[in-house]
Amino acid sequence: MTALSHRPFNRRLLGSALSVALLAGGGASAEKAITIGLTSDPSHLFPLAGEELSSNIMYYHLYDPLVKRGADLSFGPGLAESWENVDDTTWRFKLRPGVTFHNGNAFTAADVVYTIEKARLSIRPDLVANMASATAIDDLTVEIKTPKPYAVLPNDLAELLILDEEYSSATTDEAMDLEPMGTGPYKLGAWIKEEKLVLTANEDYWAGAPKIKTVTFRPITNPATRTAALLTGEVDVIQDLAVRDVDRVKADDKFTVITRPSLLNIVLGMDTRAVSPTIEGPNPMTDQRVREAIARAIDVDAINSVVMNGLATPSTQFVPASHLGYVEGMNFREMYPLDIEKAKALLAEAGYPDGFTMTLDATNNRYVNDGQIAQALASMLAKIGVTLNLNIMPKSNFWGYIRVPTEQSSFIMSGWDVPSGDAGSMYGALYYTRDKKEGYGQVNRSSYSNPEVDALVDKADSTPDVNQRDAYLQEATKILMADIPMIPVHYEQDIYAARKGVMMEPRVDKFMSAYDMDVE
Amino acid sequence: MTGYLLKRLIQMTLVLWVVSVIVFGIMSFTGDPVFMVVPIDASNAQIEQARRILGLDHSLPVQYWRFLTSMLQGDFGQSYVFRQPAMTLILERMPATLEMVVVAMILAVVVAIPLGVYAGANPNSRISKIIMAGSLLGISLPGFWVGMVLIYLFAVHWGIFPSSGRGDTVEVMGVRTSLLTADGWHHIALPALTLSLATMAILLRMTRAGMMEVGRQDFMKFARAKGATRGDVLYKHGLKNALIPVVTIFGLQLGDLIAFATITETIFSWPGMGKLLIDSIYRADRPVIVVYLMLVACIFVVINFLVDVVYTLIDPRISLK
Repeated sequence: MTALSHRPFNRRLLGSALSVALLAGGGASAEKAITIGLTSDPSHLFPLAGEELSSNIMYYHLYDPLVKRGADLSFGPGLAESWENVDDTTWRFKLRPGVTFHNGNAFTAADVVYTIEKARLSIRPDLVANMASATAIDDLTVEIKTPKPYAVLPNDLAELLILDEEYSSATTDEAMDLEPMGTGPYKLGAWIKEEKLVLTANEDYWAGAPKIKTVTFRPITNPATRTAALLTGEVDVIQDLAVRDVDRVKADDKFTVITRPSLLNIVLGMDTRAVSPTIEGPNPMTDQRVREAIARAIDVDAINSVVMNGLATPSTQFVPASHLGYVEGMNFREMYPLDIEKAKALLAEAGYPDGFTMTLDATNNRYVNDGQIAQALASMLAKIGVTLNLNIMPKSNFWGYIRVPTEQSSFIMSGWDVPSGDAGSMYGALYYTRDKKEGYGQVNRSSYSNPEVDALVDKADSTPDVNQRDAYLQEATKILMADIPMIPVHYEQDIYAARKGVMMEPRVDKFMSAYDMDVE
Repeated sequence: MTGYLLKRLIQMTLVLWVVSVIVFGIMSFTGDPVFMVVPIDASNAQIEQARRILGLDHSLPVQYWRFLTSMLQGDFGQSYVFRQPAMTLILERMPATLEMVVVAMILAVVVAIPLGVYAGANPNSRISKIIMAGSLLGISLPGFWVGMVLIYLFAVHWGIFPSSGRGDTVEVMGVRTSLLTADGWHHIALPALTLSLATMAILLRMTRAGMMEVGRQDFMKFARAKGATRGDVLYKHGLKNALIPVVTIFGLQLGDLIAFATITETIFSWPGMGKLLIDSIYRADRPVIVVYLMLVACIFVVINFLVDVVYTLIDPRISLK
């Protein structure tokens, strides 16, 4: 870049650096600031109002949970210093002393109890689905009872952000969307919708004042413009670098491209009912051999290199290796490698030598290159005689269309991510027999039903011991990998780009955290 | 006059009502908005709770009725995504759009009219041919392409203008404007230019066509014979008579730009209403869409009314009926 590129901005940078230097006192260096280019403006600043990536990013800057989820999905103390099981269904959390909200109010157990009950009545009751009740034993101790033994309660608490009871009861949810009050490392400086959101450091933060004093988020939805903003220096780091810009940005040594596999696993759900809505006659996919045949016909590496430009990670199991329930060494791709001949043989064995026809339901605006992946699947399955009719729709129609009891779908492409680090929540929602138990199987779009899997999930959900839970879930994984109710395809890649001098470790859950970043 | 105004007002109310019915009808095909708001593994009870909170727990005609009755009381509905009043969301973004559109239209008029007059008065000169070829480009090049090329050339390559955003703004009487700061003008340059090109081209061609037609009239020859200067002949006598179609197009384009500057706003991350509209469509946020389109219908009706008034000013033979 020529010197010209930065001339208009140098004037502004100089001006702001000067003013900051004046403010900071004679001789002090300019305060650290960072500008982050996001894919969209947050819709909310009130944690119970909704769940959407940009909003989530803001929540965790302004508020804190009892349990902190690290960049690598490890869980550690947050507003709670320690916790223990008093009995199978009772947990005691010892809260951190000396923490204050941004308005000076002390953080106490009453705030935790208030937040849990408020969440129950909000649009996010799922946040407290596994918390039957909460009581404040004293100012710094909270007792939470779970409806049944639940080994991963702390993981769930990492998603519940604590509100100030006094502040929240005196105002409305809509007001808190614009004027948040939390204990987090940053306070809201200014929010001009769709233009920028400025956060200023909370110097009294309990884990230490943030290194970066001012964080400016700029929503830039168009990927090309986002890349341009990085290249001109208008932003320091961007989220979701467009795949086609990766090579160009990598080639410029003023910038770095940072990638990591995301949590989002693209999965193909296959209907296992006797009769399927888009298949004439009996449903071939009730037979495991047919499902295996379909798995063996899909060339995940070709999808990766051709459709995803190498920016995908083929899945080994339903959840990543870091999760509870992952079985070391088991690899779906090694169990069912690409093998057209074997796939055709399996189909013939099951009684379908000429294949069959069905419809694939997929989105065109939700996952990276989802429409193209669907088309690739159609051509791949055609090789074994399975004719796929593609039914591709925008995400706003998709969720309602495929919803359990899935009366219109036989073959569904969607994504699943498990930020709690625990396969149990996925198995319980997706593979547990439908309509058997409240809160289980509600996303079982394959109508898959295996009593062994149900029993293992039940056992995992009845022990407060994390290692026992892991063991049961691993057993379930082994059965599911053999039974193939769903085909895991690949994990998308989270791609960021930053100018040299920005230190950032991408988080597995895609939430960016300025508290954990540094600039030179 | 009051009779005329009353008639127009009734027409406007009718148009608004039809727009609202159409939007409600069409939105019923875009999927249930509740699924965009609740987590994917929400239980039926959680979904019902969300439906109740959002007001989606009634049949469509009942929802429409509730929408009408609340609207008459001044409540235009709450966005499903933002949970803030839909009208507030639109109005807080309107100044940004209006600024960009006004600057774009001024730019278009200032460039198109003189060039169009020249091209109309000298249709066979080489300069005119170049101008007309340029106008063809202006009409045929898509806005998003032009915007991206301008960003690449002027922001990334030469670094003269910023690539996105609005820049420093100043609050005047509760309204944010970027036109009072040098940084604001720096930021509005590329978006306004991109937005103006199509209008510029259309106005230029209309002006030229109008001038060529008027140039054939006898009164033009008579004015020249009378001794009027060339400038007067072209502008005072010629242009004024050619203006009726130009003003019509101007009004239509103005309404169009205000309502649908969506693409330019998305490319330049300009925080206007158009971007809110496209985001709301993706997210099936019906309350915002219906209020937006009704507002847009209102704007079109008002602009067309003003255009009719301007006709009477240009041509004394025309009167409002």
